[in-house]
Amino acid sequence: MGTKLKDLMNNPKEVFYKGHFACAGCGSALALRHAIGAIADKVILVVPASCTSVYQGSGKGVSFNVPTINTAFASSDSVASGIKAAMEIKGKDVHVVVWAGDGGTADIGIATLIGACDREEDILHIMYSNNVYSNTGGQRSGDTPIGARTSTTPDGNTTARKMVPFIMMADNAKYVATASVAHLTDLVDKVKKAVSLKGFKFIQIDATCPVAWKVDFSNSIEVARLAVQTGIWPLFEWERDTGKVIISRPSQKYLDKENRKPIKEWTEIQGRFRGVTEKQLKALDADTDRQWNFIKKFL
Amino acid sequence: MVGKTVTLTGNLAAGKAAEMAKPKVIAVYPITPQTDIIEYLSGLVSSGKLEARFITVESEHSALAACAGAAWAGVRTFTATSSQGLLYMGEWVFWSGYGRLPIVMPVVNRCLAPGWSIFVDLQDSMAFRDAGWIQIYTKNNQEVFDTVLQAFKIGESKDISLPVMPCLDGFVLSHTTAKVELPDPEEAYSFVGDYSDPVVEVDVDNPWAYGGLVGPEQFNIARRDLMKAMERAKAKIIKVNKEFEETFGRSYGNGLVEQYGDDDADLTLITMGTMGDEADEAIDQLKQEGYKVNGVRVRTFRPFPVEDIVRIAKKNHKLFILDRAVSFGHEGPLRIEIEAALKRYNLDIPTSGDIVGLGGESVPYKRIMKIAKEALRS
Ligand SMILES: Cc1ncc(C[n+]2csc(CCOP(=O)(O)OP(=O)(O)O)c2C)c(N)n1
Repeated sequence: MGTKLKDLMNNPKEVFYKGHFACAGCGSALALRHAIGAIADKVILVVPASCTSVYQGSGKGVSFNVPTINTAFASSDSVASGIKAAMEIKGKDVHVVVWAGDGGTADIGIATLIGACDREEDILHIMYSNNVYSNTGGQRSGDTPIGARTSTTPDGNTTARKMVPFIMMADNAKYVATASVAHLTDLVDKVKKAVSLKGFKFIQIDATCPVAWKVDFSNSIEVARLAVQTGIWPLFEWERDTGKVIISRPSQKYLDKENRKPIKEWTEIQGRFRGVTEKQLKALDADTDRQWNFIKKFL
Repeated sequence: MVGKTVTLTGNLAAGKAAEMAKPKVIAVYPITPQTDIIEYLSGLVSSGKLEARFITVESEHSALAACAGAAWAGVRTFTATSSQGLLYMGEWVFWSGYGRLPIVMPVVNRCLAPGWSIFVDLQDSMAFRDAGWIQIYTKNNQEVFDTVLQAFKIGESKDISLPVMPCLDGFVLSHTTAKVELPDPEEAYSFVGDYSDPVVEVDVDNPWAYGGLVGPEQFNIARRDLMKAMERAKAKIIKVNKEFEETFGRSYGNGLVEQYGDDDADLTLITMGTMGDEADEAIDQLKQEGYKVNGVRVRTFRPFPVEDIVRIAKKNHKLFILDRAVSFGHEGPLRIEIEAALKRYNLDIPTSGDIVGLGGESVPYKRIMKIAKEALRS
């Protein structure tokens, strides 16, 4: 708690050297810079196939200033478990952090994620959520919201998002949180808290992909802010030890639906929702209620 | 403590060798007929006899992934699998081979479905011929023990840095009890040595990225380096075989191939795995009947002992190859390799062969005698 804006510029180590390949406005790269930057002196990063395996740079020009292990798509938490086990045996105190997209977490990576969680591995899994397989051109993932056009759902996705944080709560992770690139100090607080705890920690970050979401990169933060203000993306923390949800400050106001901005304000600045039907918007609204209703049970 | 002779299954022989090499991270997923290797080690870890992290992952894919993570962190790692499990691991088999991670993983050879069968053929490990792993096939439980121990020493040498797959025939070795001479554990450990100088070792104070994007130039450097390491592995396996003999009094041919019989025989039978042991028996019996047959057991399928095969073939022009796997649309994989080796040295020697023992079909020495007699006649 208590990270200030100016702290964001005073990380123990700058994570990025020059030479990264991230697109302008990439939410994942921004989140990584701050989330990992805040704990960078002790981090080993584990990255499955994703945009992150690309934007870190190529060959001798790798831009990351933290040790980075790139892994096959469906296995980052297992690799992280092996690294952590070896580091423990060597008596080295390090934070092993998986940095994975929604595909590498919610879909192909879910078995390895849950496996590591129920073994209570002492690692942190950060899922940056751009709601699609961005690396391969923006195909639907289990994390795609209702109504969003992707390259494999040209008429809009019809099914509700897979809410991995809820799955992790059910699987009794040590710590579960959601975060947003629009609220970086909140994100950093959560990352610092997570690594202070022993056990399996999970954080999902709403991380804009301007390309897939078809938003101007200058709106990359704005769209994430609107996701919070419309209630689409509730920010909260849950801890195993208390069994309680705490709504994070940026979202507290939106616990009451009355205070939320209309969902359309979020959809209308994104090209991926062009042509979204009223029926889809209704379903999206209902799914947002579903999320809040779930969270409220743990207040 | 001195060595002792005990009776062990092949699986326990593999487990005991792993125990003596003291791996630090063991990640496992069960499959018949591999299970008692990992169960044995789980007991050692939970009772504190082996100081290691034992990770019970949710799949084979994750088992090898976790071993890879630990290997990147620079510690000795071990797992074991079989058949479908090896296939499910597939992505990581290649990743750890091409990533030069010296994991030791016995494969208890078992055929592939469909239909379901738990018995031996070599189709599973043969499918990973090109994955950048050293593959060593064994003929009896003693060799299983010895090979698993040697595997750490071979794979972890800095000039090699490759994963090693000691292969043992499912049930024929894995579940059959036989006499095994066990060395004094301390002597065994000192033969293997510490894994003290890994090629890669992830370190927060010296950040590196492993396995990221590369262009064709770097990619080719890495692959050519792997080709050279495999070539060097031949000499290393021969050396370790020799050192093993000096220390423990046992060896397996030159380490790459084991020959049984005479160079001037009328026929050379080439086999792998336990079929090699049966072939030796067949050769003895045939000798009594007046036939001169030579036996060659290919021990390392990767790296492939091209020079040894050529040396033997030059002296003995009638070769018969017994394969326990098929490359569908072609021949048995062993025969393919042998024909390629002869061709590379411009030897115009026709081969013949047969595919036998699939799905656990038994190949006793009597059958091999019959095969040999027919081959001599034709
Ligand atoms: C086993 C396997 N299947 C498919 C792929 C192709 N692939 C590489 S990255 C990727 C998408 C990753 O999506 P996500 O995890 O959401 O991360 P993002 O690209 O959005 O950063 C896919 C499908 C792969 N590398 N491995």
